[in-house]
Amino acid sequence: MMTTLLEPFQFPFMVDAMIVGVAVGAVCSVLSCYLVLKGWSLMGDAISHAVLPGIVIAYAIRVPLALGAFASGLLCAVLTGFIKANSRVKEDTVMGVVFTGMFAFGLVIFTKVKSDLHLDHILFGNILGLAPGDLRDTLIVAGGTLAVVLALRRDLLLYCFDSGHARTIGLRTDLLHYLLLSLLAVTIVVSLKAVGIILVVAMLVTPGCIAYLLTDRFNRMLLIAAASAVGSSFFGVYLSFFINASTGACIVLLQALVFMVALVWAPKHGLLAARRQRRLAGSAAGASGRAV
Amino acid sequence: MIETLLTPLHYDYMLKAIFVSAVIGGVCAFLSCFITLKGWSLMGDALSHSVVPGVAVAYYAGWPFAAGAFVTGLLAAVGMGFVKTKTRLREDAVIGVVFTAFFALGLLLISLYPSQVDLRSIVFGNILGISNPDIVQVLIISGVTLVVLGCKWRDLLLFCFDPNQARALGLNTTALHFTLLTLLSATAVAALQTVGACLVVAMLVTPGATAYLLTDRFGKMIGIATTMGVGTSIVGAYASYFFDGSTGGCIVTLQSLVFVAALVWAPKHGLLAQRARRREAGRAEVAS
Repeated sequence: MMTTLLEPFQFPFMVDAMIVGVAVGAVCSVLSCYLVLKGWSLMGDAISHAVLPGIVIAYAIRVPLALGAFASGLLCAVLTGFIKANSRVKEDTVMGVVFTGMFAFGLVIFTKVKSDLHLDHILFGNILGLAPGDLRDTLIVAGGTLAVVLALRRDLLLYCFDSGHARTIGLRTDLLHYLLLSLLAVTIVVSLKAVGIILVVAMLVTPGCIAYLLTDRFNRMLLIAAASAVGSSFFGVYLSFFINASTGACIVLLQALVFMVALVWAPKHGLLAARRQRRLAGSAAGASGRAV
Repeated sequence: MIETLLTPLHYDYMLKAIFVSAVIGGVCAFLSCFITLKGWSLMGDALSHSVVPGVAVAYYAGWPFAAGAFVTGLLAAVGMGFVKTKTRLREDAVIGVVFTAFFALGLLLISLYPSQVDLRSIVFGNILGISNPDIVQVLIISGVTLVVLGCKWRDLLLFCFDPNQARALGLNTTALHFTLLTLLSATAVAALQTVGACLVVAMLVTPGATAYLLTDRFGKMIGIATTMGVGTSIVGAYASYFFDGSTGGCIVTLQSLVFVAALVWAPKHGLLAQRARRREAGRAEVAS
């Protein structure tokens, strides 16, 4: 029994996968708290799809793939901002137009550039097949991103919560805007290996939502989000070993499960708590009605 | 030269692909006018990803894929609506949580039983290999969608533009809401065949956005969007023969190019027109 449970840890690729999964989960979850507050959840979706042409072009001209991915992700965000500012089309529509255009372009050139890139790995992640340097790269980038976010945690929070106020007290909001976008793009590029383009957005939204349901304080929110993401990543990788299923899907489904639990049983903002409050209010109203 | 250009048309599968793409492109474009006005663009994205588990289950159970896809699409839409009304989370966050969970579930199912479903054909579409029963499904979905839109387009337009006024006039806005949601799921399912889950949202957004840049009248907007949807689908499917790959990629890239052209050169709302107006205003100011 015990040996079966410990079996995954005997494979170096499983241990690597767990470390990378946990690192990626931690970075994404911390960022997700800001995104959820700022209302940028779907920006993550857009940027993650838009990295595809960057990866293909980077491969073709022999620059590091991460660089290409980062550049084209950021280009998507900048283009969205530009078109939104200069036309009357709504932001969500602009986002839809830009990221699908870039993704489609990526697909077209992918078929033209002869490469040994696996589209499946880009789309769905390949955490069990990490290359030797991947672990180190992921840890360095994830650590750096995490350090920047935590160092600027108050400024970013104020910007996300009330950008007008942030500007009034003299913060460079345009700088913070692009900083947050860049952090988002970097995080997505790091996470691609673990969960792939399509499910990165889950890592960037769900932990923040879970934490937001559970607490009203931002520092606690960061901790809860990180804990739920790290836990889901670890057990997701672990579980996928036994049921022989897509690792990215396992991680994301565990997060979704935690979200559902929080949705129902959150002490203050959960469904049950809301019902209880309503019933209390109802009986209080009834009591006061009788008293009159 | 002419010979080369005509080769795609000699193949049965190319003709089928061009025809089906055109139908789907037209229907999606029609709907996209409502979707962009309503601000539901990302709902289209979310629904198209949410149908994946339905497709997987439908394949195992031997149902028509559209039925399974449609059910999970609606389930996701209802789930989003429920979580949004019951919590303090923002709508975009709720959409993100729900659709990724559905997609992950689909991925899990497919990875557990790998042999039967081709994930690539779900994610990227497989219009060149579309089977005749699938064509019938797509045609039925498109026909029903067109009929409903044709009968109800005034009500839907008012609902998208100003739901309060629609309610004040006595329209049943809840019914309209679900009608639009159902149409969206249905067309997302149909479009899945041509361009795949990742690019469905383009077919459901880009034509509407392009037309919105080009005109101020809704009737014209529908005309422009539909023309563009049909045109880009035909040309894109045709061109994909020469590019040797991704039909969906070609169609959507083409749509994006048309959008960029409209963005720059649109007679009234384009970037150049705006700049010209600004310059003229500046000159008038100087003169006065």
